[in-house]
Amino acid sequence: MTIEHLIQRHAANSPERIALIEGDVEVSYAALWSNICRAAAWFAARAGRGDRVVLSASKSAGFVYAYFGAHLAGLIAVPIDSETNATRLRRIVDVARPRFVIGELRYGEGLTVVPFDQMVAEPAADFALPDEADVADLLFTTGTTGLPKGVTLTFANQMAAATSINEFIGNSADDVELLALPISHSFGLGRLRCVLSKGGTVVLLGSFASMKRFYAAMDAHGVTGFGMVPASWAYLHKMSGERIGEYADRLRYVEIGSAFMSEADKRLLMRLLPATRICMHYGLTEASRSAFISFHDEEAHLTTAGRPAPGVEIAVYDEQGQPVARGAEGEVCVKGAHVCSGYWGCAVEDFRRDFNGEYFKTGDWGYLDADGYLHLVSRKKELINVGGKKVSPIEVEEALNELEGIRESAAVAMHDDVLGEVVKAYVVCDAPVDTDAAKRALSRRLENYKVPVAIEVIDALPRTANGKLQRLLLADK
Amino acid sequence: MEILEKVIEIVAETCEVDRSEVTGDSTVGDFPAWDSMGHLSILNNVEEAFDISFEPEEMMELEDVNDIVKAVEEKLA
Repeated sequence: MTIEHLIQRHAANSPERIALIEGDVEVSYAALWSNICRAAAWFAARAGRGDRVVLSASKSAGFVYAYFGAHLAGLIAVPIDSETNATRLRRIVDVARPRFVIGELRYGEGLTVVPFDQMVAEPAADFALPDEADVADLLFTTGTTGLPKGVTLTFANQMAAATSINEFIGNSADDVELLALPISHSFGLGRLRCVLSKGGTVVLLGSFASMKRFYAAMDAHGVTGFGMVPASWAYLHKMSGERIGEYADRLRYVEIGSAFMSEADKRLLMRLLPATRICMHYGLTEASRSAFISFHDEEAHLTTAGRPAPGVEIAVYDEQGQPVARGAEGEVCVKGAHVCSGYWGCAVEDFRRDFNGEYFKTGDWGYLDADGYLHLVSRKKELINVGGKKVSPIEVEEALNELEGIRESAAVAMHDDVLGEVVKAYVVCDAPVDTDAAKRALSRRLENYKVPVAIEVIDALPRTANGKLQRLLLADK
Repeated sequence: MEILEKVIEIVAETCEVDRSEVTGDSTVGDFPAWDSMGHLSILNNVEEAFDISFEPEEMMELEDVNDIVKAVEEKLA
Protein backbone atom coordinates (compact mmCIF):
# COMPACT_ATOMS: atom_id res chain seq x y z
CA MET A 1 0.00 0.00 0.00
CA THR A 2 1.19 3.53 -0.79
CA ILE A 3 -0.11 7.03 0.02
CA GLU A 4 -0.85 7.47 -3.72
CA HIS A 5 -3.01 4.33 -3.69
CA LEU A 6 -5.00 5.69 -0.73
CA ILE A 7 -5.55 9.05 -2.47
CA GLN A 8 -6.76 7.25 -5.60
CA ARG A 9 -9.13 5.22 -3.43
CA HIS A 10 -10.56 8.35 -1.75
CA ALA A 11 -11.04 9.90 -5.22
CA ALA A 12 -13.02 6.81 -6.28
CA ASN A 13 -15.04 6.40 -3.07
CA SER A 14 -15.60 10.01 -2.04
CA PRO A 15 -14.94 12.08 -5.18
CA GLU A 16 -16.75 15.19 -3.88
CA ARG A 17 -14.95 15.33 -0.55
CA ILE A 18 -12.59 18.33 -0.28
CA ALA A 19 -8.91 17.42 -0.27
CA LEU A 20 -7.24 20.83 -0.49
CA ILE A 21 -8.18 24.43 0.16
CA GLU A 22 -5.92 27.18 -1.11
CA GLY A 23 -7.34 30.69 -0.67
CA ASP A 24 -10.83 30.65 -2.19
CA VAL A 25 -10.20 27.50 -4.21
CA GLU A 26 -11.45 24.13 -2.99
CA VAL A 27 -10.10 20.99 -4.65
CA SER A 28 -12.10 17.76 -4.34
CA TYR A 29 -10.45 14.35 -4.16
CA ALA A 30 -11.64 13.66 -7.73
CA ALA A 31 -10.01 16.89 -8.97
CA LEU A 32 -6.89 16.23 -6.90
CA TRP A 33 -6.43 12.81 -8.46
CA SER A 34 -7.14 14.12 -11.95
CA ASN A 35 -4.53 16.88 -11.53
CA ILE A 36 -2.02 14.41 -10.12
CA CYS A 37 -2.54 12.28 -13.26
CA ARG A 38 -2.06 15.35 -15.49
CA ALA A 39 1.19 16.21 -13.73
CA ALA A 40 2.27 12.56 -14.06
CA ALA A 41 1.55 12.70 -17.81
CA TRP A 42 3.65 15.88 -18.06
CA PHE A 43 6.58 14.14 -16.38
CA ALA A 44 6.17 10.88 -18.31
CA ALA A 45 6.37 12.79 -21.61
CA ARG A 46 9.63 14.47 -20.63
CA ALA A 47 11.55 12.24 -18.23
CA GLY A 48 12.34 8.65 -17.44
CA ARG A 49 11.70 6.51 -14.37
CA GLY A 50 14.20 7.22 -11.59
CA ASP A 51 14.90 10.77 -12.81
CA ARG A 52 14.95 13.37 -10.05
CA VAL A 53 12.80 16.48 -9.89
CA VAL A 54 13.48 19.34 -7.47
CA LEU A 55 10.20 20.76 -6.12
CA SER A 56 9.78 23.84 -4.02
CA ALA A 57 6.93 25.91 -2.57
CA SER A 58 5.66 27.31 0.70
CA LYS A 59 1.98 26.71 -0.13
CA SER A 60 0.60 25.63 -3.45
CA ALA A 61 -1.91 23.10 -4.69
CA GLY A 62 0.34 22.91 -7.78
CA PHE A 63 3.10 21.56 -5.57
CA VAL A 64 0.80 18.78 -4.35
CA TYR A 65 -0.09 17.75 -7.94
CA ALA A 66 3.57 17.84 -9.06
CA TYR A 67 4.79 15.95 -5.99
CA PHE A 68 2.40 13.01 -6.27
CA GLY A 69 2.42 13.25 -10.09
CA ALA A 70 6.21 12.80 -10.11
CA HIS A 71 5.78 9.71 -7.93
CA LEU A 72 3.14 8.28 -10.22
CA ALA A 73 5.38 8.78 -13.27
CA GLY A 74 8.22 6.93 -11.49
CA LEU A 75 10.33 10.01 -10.72
CA ILE A 76 12.05 10.75 -7.44
CA ALA A 77 10.88 13.97 -5.76
CA VAL A 78 13.50 16.24 -4.19
CA PRO A 79 11.48 18.71 -2.07
CA ILE A 80 13.51 21.76 -0.96
CA ASP A 81 12.86 25.02 0.87
CA SER A 82 12.00 27.87 -1.49
CA GLU A 83 14.46 30.01 0.50
CA THR A 84 17.41 27.64 -0.13
CA ASN A 85 20.53 29.77 -0.62
CA ALA A 86 22.49 29.70 -3.88
CA THR A 87 25.44 27.66 -2.53
CA ARG A 88 23.29 24.94 -1.00
CA LEU A 89 21.05 24.89 -4.06
CA ARG A 90 24.07 24.38 -6.31
CA ARG A 91 25.30 21.50 -4.13
CA ILE A 92 21.87 19.86 -4.12
CA VAL A 93 21.69 20.16 -7.91
CA ASP A 94 25.23 18.76 -8.22
CA VAL A 95 24.38 15.72 -6.12
CA ALA A 96 20.80 15.03 -7.27
CA ARG A 97 21.33 15.97 -10.95
CA PRO A 98 17.62 16.70 -11.39
CA ARG A 99 15.90 16.58 -14.76
CA PHE A 100 13.68 19.51 -13.69
CA VAL A 101 13.53 22.22 -11.09
CA ILE A 102 9.90 23.15 -10.47
CA GLY A 103 8.13 25.74 -8.35
CA GLU A 104 9.21 28.83 -6.46
CA LEU A 105 12.86 29.48 -5.67
CA ARG A 106 14.27 32.73 -4.36
CA TYR A 107 17.83 32.01 -5.46
CA GLY A 108 17.13 30.06 -8.62
CA GLU A 109 19.23 32.25 -10.94
CA GLY A 110 21.05 30.23 -13.56
CA LEU A 111 18.52 27.38 -13.31
CA THR A 112 15.52 26.80 -15.55
CA VAL A 113 12.67 26.84 -13.07
CA VAL A 114 9.38 25.49 -14.43
CA PRO A 115 6.17 26.95 -12.92
CA PHE A 116 3.60 24.51 -11.51
CA ASP A 117 0.75 25.60 -13.79
CA GLN A 118 2.45 24.12 -16.88
CA MET A 119 1.97 20.65 -15.47
CA VAL A 120 -1.80 20.55 -15.21
CA ALA A 121 -2.23 21.72 -18.82
CA GLU A 122 -1.29 18.19 -19.91
CA PRO A 123 -4.15 15.73 -20.65
CA ALA A 124 -4.42 13.15 -17.87
CA ALA A 125 -3.33 9.56 -18.48
CA ASP A 126 -3.56 6.35 -16.47
CA PHE A 127 -0.55 5.18 -14.51
CA ALA A 128 0.31 2.13 -12.47
CA LEU A 129 0.58 2.85 -8.74
CA PRO A 130 4.12 3.11 -7.34
CA ASP A 131 5.98 0.07 -6.06
CA GLU A 132 6.49 0.15 -2.27
CA ALA A 133 10.19 -0.65 -2.56
CA ASP A 134 10.97 2.23 -4.96
CA VAL A 135 12.51 5.48 -3.82
CA ALA A 136 9.84 8.18 -3.48
CA ASP A 137 11.78 11.14 -2.14
CA LEU A 138 15.33 12.34 -1.85
CA LEU A 139 15.57 14.71 1.13
CA PHE A 140 18.67 16.75 1.81
CA THR A 141 19.76 17.02 5.43
CA THR A 142 21.79 19.83 6.89
CA GLY A 143 24.90 17.66 7.09
CA THR A 144 27.50 18.31 9.76
CA THR A 145 30.15 17.79 7.10
CA GLY A 146 28.84 20.92 5.40
CA LEU A 147 27.86 18.98 2.32
CA PRO A 148 24.17 18.23 2.15
CA LYS A 149 23.45 14.52 2.40
CA GLY A 150 20.60 13.01 0.37
CA VAL A 151 18.36 10.71 2.38
CA THR A 152 16.34 8.27 0.27
CA LEU A 153 12.85 7.43 1.49
CA THR A 154 10.88 4.66 -0.17
CA PHE A 155 7.11 4.57 -0.61
CA ALA A 156 7.08 1.90 2.12
CA ASN A 157 9.02 4.23 4.49
CA GLN A 158 6.48 7.01 3.92
CA MET A 159 3.49 4.73 4.33
CA ALA A 160 4.92 3.29 7.56
CA ALA A 161 5.53 6.79 8.94
CA ALA A 162 2.04 8.05 7.99
CA THR A 163 0.37 4.96 9.48
CA SER A 164 2.28 5.31 12.73
CA ILE A 165 1.58 9.05 13.04
CA ASN A 166 -2.12 8.70 12.22
CA GLU A 167 -2.43 5.90 14.73
CA PHE A 168 -0.81 7.94 17.49
CA ILE A 169 -2.64 11.20 16.80
CA GLY A 170 -5.92 9.55 15.84
CA ASN A 171 -6.56 11.42 12.57
CA SER A 172 -9.72 10.66 10.61
CA ALA A 173 -11.41 11.61 7.32
CA ASP A 174 -13.38 14.28 9.20
CA ASP A 175 -10.26 16.26 10.04
CA VAL A 176 -9.58 19.67 8.52
CA GLU A 177 -5.94 20.52 9.03
CA LEU A 178 -4.48 24.00 8.77
CA LEU A 179 -1.04 23.58 7.17
CA ALA A 180 0.86 26.68 8.24
CA LEU A 181 4.19 24.86 7.84
CA PRO A 182 6.01 25.25 4.51
CA ILE A 183 4.71 22.46 2.28
CA SER A 184 8.11 21.51 0.85
CA HIS A 185 9.65 20.97 4.33
CA SER A 186 9.70 17.42 5.61
CA PHE A 187 7.35 18.20 8.55
CA GLY A 188 4.80 20.00 6.37
CA LEU A 189 5.02 17.37 3.67
CA GLY A 190 4.65 14.65 6.29
CA ARG A 191 1.46 16.30 7.60
CA LEU A 192 0.12 16.52 4.03
CA ARG A 193 0.71 12.78 3.47
CA CYS A 194 -0.91 11.91 6.82
CA VAL A 195 -4.11 13.90 6.22
CA LEU A 196 -4.54 12.92 2.55
CA SER A 197 -3.95 9.25 3.34
CA LYS A 198 -6.91 9.45 5.74
CA GLY A 199 -9.13 11.32 3.28
CA GLY A 200 -9.17 14.53 5.33
CA THR A 201 -8.90 18.15 4.21
CA VAL A 202 -5.72 20.25 4.16
CA VAL A 203 -5.97 24.05 4.20
CA LEU A 204 -2.76 25.45 2.68
CA LEU A 205 -1.48 28.52 4.52
CA GLY A 206 2.29 28.01 4.28
CA SER A 207 3.31 30.26 7.14
CA PHE A 208 2.44 31.40 10.66
CA ALA A 209 3.59 34.92 9.79
CA SER A 210 0.13 36.46 9.55
CA MET A 211 -1.85 35.65 12.69
CA LYS A 212 -4.90 37.38 11.17
CA ARG A 213 -4.85 34.94 8.27
CA PHE A 214 -4.19 32.02 10.61
CA TYR A 215 -7.29 32.72 12.72
CA ALA A 216 -9.36 33.71 9.67
CA ALA A 217 -8.58 30.29 8.14
CA MET A 218 -9.45 28.56 11.43
CA ASP A 219 -12.83 30.34 11.43
CA ALA A 220 -13.59 29.92 7.72
CA HIS A 221 -12.86 26.20 7.40
CA GLY A 222 -13.72 24.70 10.78
CA VAL A 223 -10.14 23.60 11.35
CA THR A 224 -9.74 20.61 13.69
CA GLY A 225 -5.94 20.44 13.96
CA PHE A 226 -2.57 21.80 12.90
CA GLY A 227 1.15 21.12 13.10
CA MET A 228 3.77 23.52 14.42
CA VAL A 229 7.30 23.71 15.77
CA PRO A 230 7.98 25.10 19.27
CA ALA A 231 9.10 28.40 17.72
CA SER A 232 5.70 28.69 16.00
CA TRP A 233 4.07 28.38 19.42
CA ALA A 234 6.35 31.09 20.85
CA TYR A 235 5.37 33.30 17.89
CA LEU A 236 1.67 32.47 18.11
CA HIS A 237 1.67 33.26 21.81
CA LYS A 238 3.65 36.47 21.44
CA MET A 239 1.47 37.73 18.60
CA SER A 240 -1.97 36.67 19.79
CA GLY A 241 -1.69 36.02 23.52
CA GLU A 242 -4.14 33.31 24.66
CA ARG A 243 -6.54 33.59 21.74
CA ILE A 244 -5.88 30.00 20.62
CA GLY A 245 -7.83 28.99 23.75
CA GLU A 246 -11.03 30.23 22.07
CA TYR A 247 -10.68 27.28 19.68
CA ALA A 248 -10.29 24.67 22.43
CA ASP A 249 -13.65 23.03 21.68
CA ARG A 250 -12.96 22.34 18.04
CA LEU A 251 -9.19 21.62 17.97
CA ARG A 252 -8.91 17.85 18.19
CA TYR A 253 -5.13 17.67 17.79
CA VAL A 254 -1.91 19.63 17.50
CA GLU A 255 1.33 17.99 16.39
CA ILE A 256 4.54 19.65 17.52
CA GLY A 257 7.87 19.09 15.77
CA SER A 258 11.05 18.04 17.48
CA ALA A 259 13.00 20.93 19.01
CA PHE A 260 13.42 22.21 22.54
CA MET A 261 10.18 23.38 24.17
CA SER A 262 10.14 24.47 27.80
CA GLU A 263 7.89 22.68 30.28
CA ALA A 264 6.25 26.06 31.03
CA ASP A 265 5.33 26.47 27.34
CA LYS A 266 3.95 22.91 27.25
CA ARG A 267 1.83 23.55 30.36
CA LEU A 268 0.54 26.84 28.99
CA LEU A 269 -0.60 25.12 25.80
CA MET A 270 -2.21 22.34 27.87
CA ARG A 271 -4.11 24.91 29.96
CA LEU A 272 -5.39 26.70 26.84
CA LEU A 273 -6.31 23.47 25.02
CA PRO A 274 -7.46 21.16 27.83
CA ALA A 275 -9.25 18.62 25.63
CA THR A 276 -6.97 18.66 22.57
CA ARG A 277 -4.64 15.77 21.84
CA ILE A 278 -1.34 17.70 21.92
CA CYS A 279 1.38 15.44 20.55
CA MET A 280 5.06 16.15 20.21
CA HIS A 281 7.37 14.00 18.12
CA TYR A 282 11.04 13.22 18.15
CA GLY A 283 12.67 12.34 14.87
CA LEU A 284 15.13 13.20 12.16
CA THR A 285 15.09 13.21 8.38
CA GLU A 286 16.36 9.62 8.28
CA ALA A 287 13.75 8.42 10.75
CA SER A 288 10.90 10.89 11.11
CA ARG A 289 8.59 10.56 14.12
CA SER A 290 10.58 7.93 16.02
CA ALA A 291 9.02 8.82 19.38
CA PHE A 292 5.83 10.55 20.48
CA ILE A 293 4.42 12.03 23.64
CA SER A 294 0.83 13.13 24.23
CA PHE A 295 1.01 15.98 26.76
CA HIS A 296 -2.31 15.45 28.54
CA ASP A 297 -2.07 11.66 28.65
CA GLU A 298 1.56 11.55 29.74
CA GLU A 299 1.76 14.62 31.93
CA ALA A 300 4.17 12.98 34.37
CA HIS A 301 6.72 12.63 31.55
CA LEU A 302 6.56 16.10 30.00
CA THR A 303 10.31 16.63 30.13
CA THR A 304 10.95 13.52 28.02
CA ALA A 305 10.76 12.95 24.26
CA GLY A 306 8.08 10.32 24.89
CA ARG A 307 7.97 6.65 24.00
CA PRO A 308 8.68 4.90 20.70
CA ALA A 309 6.05 5.68 18.05
CA PRO A 310 3.74 2.80 17.02
CA GLY A 311 5.81 0.21 15.13
CA VAL A 312 9.12 1.76 16.21
CA GLU A 313 11.72 0.36 18.61
CA ILE A 314 14.35 2.48 20.35
CA ALA A 315 17.57 1.20 21.90
CA VAL A 316 20.57 2.97 23.40
CA TYR A 317 24.10 1.89 22.47
CA ASP A 318 27.55 2.83 23.76
CA GLU A 319 30.28 4.06 21.44
CA GLN A 320 31.61 0.54 21.03
CA GLY A 321 28.26 -0.49 19.55
CA GLN A 322 27.04 -2.41 22.62
CA PRO A 323 23.52 -1.94 24.02
CA VAL A 324 23.58 -0.24 27.43
CA ALA A 325 21.47 -0.96 30.51
CA ARG A 326 18.17 0.87 31.10
CA GLY A 327 18.94 4.29 32.55
CA ALA A 328 22.48 4.46 31.16
CA GLU A 329 23.35 7.12 28.60
CA GLY A 330 24.46 6.40 25.06
CA GLU A 331 23.59 7.00 21.44
CA VAL A 332 19.88 6.81 20.68
CA CYS A 333 19.23 4.25 17.92
CA VAL A 334 15.93 3.45 16.20
CA LYS A 335 14.45 0.54 14.31
CA GLY A 336 11.31 0.51 12.18
CA ALA A 337 9.86 0.44 8.70
CA HIS A 338 10.09 4.27 8.64
CA VAL A 339 13.93 4.32 8.72
CA CYS A 340 15.32 5.58 5.39
CA SER A 341 16.53 3.11 2.78
CA GLY A 342 19.93 4.75 2.25
CA TYR A 343 21.90 7.83 1.29
CA TRP A 344 21.97 8.97 -2.31
CA GLY A 345 25.15 7.90 -4.06
CA CYS A 346 26.37 6.09 -0.95
CA ALA A 347 27.31 2.38 -1.09
CA VAL A 348 25.13 0.04 0.98
CA GLU A 349 28.09 -1.03 3.14
CA ASP A 350 28.84 2.62 3.96
CA PHE A 351 25.19 3.25 4.83
CA ARG A 352 25.21 0.18 7.10
CA ARG A 353 27.96 1.84 9.18
CA ASP A 354 25.25 4.15 10.46
CA PHE A 355 23.60 1.17 12.15
CA ASN A 356 24.11 -0.95 15.25
CA GLY A 357 22.64 -4.20 13.95
CA GLU A 358 19.14 -3.25 12.79
CA TYR A 359 19.13 0.00 14.76
CA PHE A 360 19.88 3.26 12.97
CA LYS A 361 22.23 5.61 14.84
CA THR A 362 20.52 8.98 15.27
CA GLY A 363 23.57 10.88 16.49
CA ASP A 364 21.56 12.00 19.52
CA TRP A 365 22.67 11.25 23.05
CA GLY A 366 20.23 10.12 25.72
CA TYR A 367 18.76 7.30 27.79
CA LEU A 368 15.57 5.33 28.32
CA ASP A 369 14.13 5.51 31.84
CA ALA A 370 12.47 2.73 33.84
CA ASP A 371 9.09 3.52 32.22
CA GLY A 372 10.55 3.36 28.72
CA TYR A 373 10.54 7.13 28.14
CA LEU A 374 13.30 8.61 26.05
CA HIS A 375 15.36 11.39 27.61
CA LEU A 376 17.53 13.40 25.22
CA VAL A 377 20.63 14.66 26.98
CA SER A 378 22.45 16.46 24.21
CA ARG A 379 22.90 16.38 20.51
CA LYS A 380 25.89 14.44 19.46
CA LYS A 381 25.54 16.20 16.19
CA GLU A 382 26.14 19.91 16.36
CA LEU A 383 23.34 21.29 14.21
CA ILE A 384 21.81 24.54 15.37
CA ASN A 385 18.01 24.59 15.43
CA VAL A 386 16.82 28.14 14.76
CA GLY A 387 13.08 28.09 15.22
CA GLY A 388 12.79 24.69 13.54
CA LYS A 389 15.20 25.52 10.73
CA LYS A 390 18.40 23.49 10.93
CA VAL A 391 21.68 25.30 10.47
CA SER A 392 24.92 23.51 9.79
CA PRO A 393 27.76 25.17 11.73
CA ILE A 394 30.08 24.36 8.83
CA GLU A 395 28.06 26.42 6.39
CA VAL A 396 28.25 29.48 8.66
CA GLU A 397 31.96 28.88 9.32
CA GLU A 398 32.78 28.57 5.62
CA ALA A 399 31.14 31.94 4.98
CA LEU A 400 32.91 33.52 7.98
CA ASN A 401 36.32 32.14 7.01
CA GLU A 402 36.10 33.86 3.64
CA LEU A 403 35.96 37.27 5.30
CA GLU A 404 39.09 39.42 5.47
CA GLY A 405 40.94 39.07 8.77
CA ILE A 406 39.23 35.90 9.98
CA ARG A 407 41.57 32.91 10.24
CA GLU A 408 39.10 30.38 11.57
CA SER A 409 35.72 30.21 13.23
CA ALA A 410 33.23 28.01 15.04
CA ALA A 411 29.45 28.39 14.97
CA VAL A 412 27.41 27.10 17.88
CA ALA A 413 23.89 27.27 19.26
CA MET A 414 22.95 30.01 21.72
CA HIS A 415 19.67 29.89 23.67
CA ASP A 416 16.94 32.25 22.55
CA ASP A 417 13.57 32.62 24.30
CA VAL A 418 11.54 32.77 21.10
CA LEU A 419 13.47 30.77 18.53
CA GLY A 420 14.85 28.14 20.91
CA GLU A 421 18.32 28.52 19.48
CA VAL A 422 20.14 31.12 17.41
CA VAL A 423 23.61 31.07 15.88
CA LYS A 424 26.59 32.42 17.80
CA ALA A 425 30.05 32.46 16.24
CA TYR A 426 33.53 32.48 17.74
CA VAL A 427 36.29 33.78 15.49
CA VAL A 428 40.07 33.77 15.61
CA CYS A 429 41.48 36.76 13.74
CA ASP A 430 44.71 37.66 11.93
CA ALA A 431 43.78 41.33 11.89
CA PRO A 432 41.24 43.46 13.76
CA VAL A 433 37.72 42.55 12.60
CA ASP A 434 34.60 44.71 12.87
CA THR A 435 32.05 42.12 13.98
CA ASP A 436 29.07 44.24 12.91
CA ALA A 437 30.54 44.59 9.43
CA ALA A 438 31.13 40.83 9.42
CA LYS A 439 27.45 40.21 10.23
CA ARG A 440 26.38 42.52 7.40
CA ALA A 441 28.73 40.74 5.00
CA LEU A 442 27.29 37.37 6.05
CA SER A 443 23.72 38.57 5.56
CA ARG A 444 24.51 38.91 1.87
CA ARG A 445 25.71 35.30 1.68
CA LEU A 446 23.41 33.41 4.04
CA GLU A 447 19.73 33.29 4.86
CA ASN A 448 18.85 35.66 7.74
CA TYR A 449 18.37 32.91 10.31
CA LYS A 450 21.86 31.54 9.61
CA VAL A 451 23.62 34.85 10.29
CA PRO A 452 25.19 34.81 13.78
CA VAL A 453 23.34 36.97 16.29
CA ALA A 454 26.63 37.43 18.14
CA ILE A 455 30.26 37.13 17.03
CA GLU A 456 32.93 36.89 19.70
CA VAL A 457 36.66 37.16 19.03
CA ILE A 458 38.76 34.58 20.89
CA ASP A 459 42.46 33.57 20.86
CA ALA A 460 42.06 29.95 19.82
CA LEU A 461 39.35 27.37 19.11
CA PRO A 462 39.14 24.28 21.32
CA ARG A 463 40.33 21.19 19.47
CA THR A 464 40.93 17.54 20.28
CA ALA A 465 44.43 16.06 20.19
CA ASN A 466 43.63 15.03 16.61
CA GLY A 467 42.74 18.60 15.70
CA LYS A 468 38.97 18.06 15.53
CA LEU A 469 37.05 21.19 16.40
CA GLN A 470 35.11 20.85 19.68
CA ARG A 471 32.11 23.08 19.09
CA LEU A 472 30.13 21.76 22.01
CA LEU A 473 32.75 23.09 24.45
CA LEU A 474 32.05 26.56 23.08
CA ALA A 475 28.29 26.04 23.19
CA ASP A 476 28.55 25.21 26.91
CA LYS A 477 30.32 28.48 27.68
CA MET B 1 5.68 61.28 7.39
CA GLU B 2 8.92 60.73 9.29
CA ILE B 3 7.43 57.71 11.02
CA LEU B 4 6.40 56.21 7.67
CA GLU B 5 9.91 56.76 6.29
CA LYS B 6 11.51 55.15 9.34
CA VAL B 7 9.18 52.11 9.27
CA ILE B 8 9.82 51.66 5.54
CA GLU B 9 13.56 51.81 6.22
CA ILE B 10 13.26 49.15 8.96
CA VAL B 11 11.17 46.87 6.73
CA ALA B 12 13.56 47.30 3.78
CA GLU B 13 16.63 46.54 5.89
CA THR B 14 15.10 43.54 7.64
CA CYS B 15 13.73 42.07 4.41
CA GLU B 16 16.88 42.87 2.43
CA VAL B 17 14.98 44.72 -0.28
CA ASP B 18 15.35 48.16 -1.78
CA ARG B 19 13.42 50.92 -0.02
CA SER B 20 11.57 51.68 -3.25
CA GLU B 21 9.99 48.21 -3.11
CA VAL B 22 8.31 48.95 0.23
CA THR B 23 5.06 50.93 0.38
CA GLY B 24 2.44 51.61 3.01
CA ASP B 25 0.53 48.58 1.75
CA SER B 26 3.48 46.17 1.95
CA THR B 27 2.46 43.34 4.23
CA VAL B 28 3.71 40.20 5.92
CA GLY B 29 4.52 37.59 3.26
CA ASP B 30 5.19 40.16 0.49
CA PHE B 31 8.95 39.52 0.58
CA PRO B 32 10.53 36.12 1.15
CA ALA B 33 12.28 37.38 4.30
CA TRP B 34 9.04 38.82 5.72
CA ASP B 35 8.10 35.53 7.35
CA SER B 36 7.28 35.05 11.03
CA MET B 37 10.89 35.56 12.08
CA GLY B 38 11.19 38.61 9.84
CA HIS B 39 7.93 39.97 11.22
CA LEU B 40 9.18 39.64 14.80
CA SER B 41 12.45 41.38 13.86
CA ILE B 42 10.54 44.22 12.20
CA LEU B 43 8.31 44.71 15.23
CA ASN B 44 11.30 44.51 17.61
CA ASN B 45 13.22 47.04 15.53
CA VAL B 46 10.21 49.36 15.44
CA GLU B 47 9.83 49.08 19.22
CA GLU B 48 13.49 49.93 19.69
CA ALA B 49 13.57 52.74 17.14
CA PHE B 50 10.63 54.56 18.74
CA ASP B 51 11.21 53.35 22.32
CA ILE B 52 7.72 51.87 22.60
CA SER B 53 6.34 48.37 23.20
CA PHE B 54 3.37 46.52 21.75
CA GLU B 55 1.00 44.22 23.67
CA PRO B 56 0.14 40.79 22.10
CA GLU B 57 -3.42 41.90 21.32
CA GLU B 58 -2.02 44.96 19.51
CA MET B 59 0.63 42.94 17.66
CA MET B 60 -1.90 40.71 15.96
CA GLU B 61 -3.39 43.76 14.23
CA LEU B 62 -0.03 44.88 12.86
CA GLU B 63 0.20 43.29 9.45
CA ASP B 64 1.23 45.94 6.97
CA VAL B 65 3.38 49.06 7.01
CA ASN B 66 0.35 51.35 7.43
CA ASP B 67 -0.87 49.35 10.47
CA ILE B 68 2.54 49.70 12.08
CA VAL B 69 2.77 53.43 11.33
CA LYS B 70 -0.70 54.03 12.78
CA ALA B 71 0.15 52.08 15.95
CA VAL B 72 3.40 54.01 16.41
CA GLU B 73 1.58 57.32 15.95
CA GLU B 74 -0.98 56.34 18.58
CA LYS B 75 1.75 55.32 21.04
CA LEU B 76 3.66 58.55 20.55
CA ALA B 77 0.58 60.79 20.68
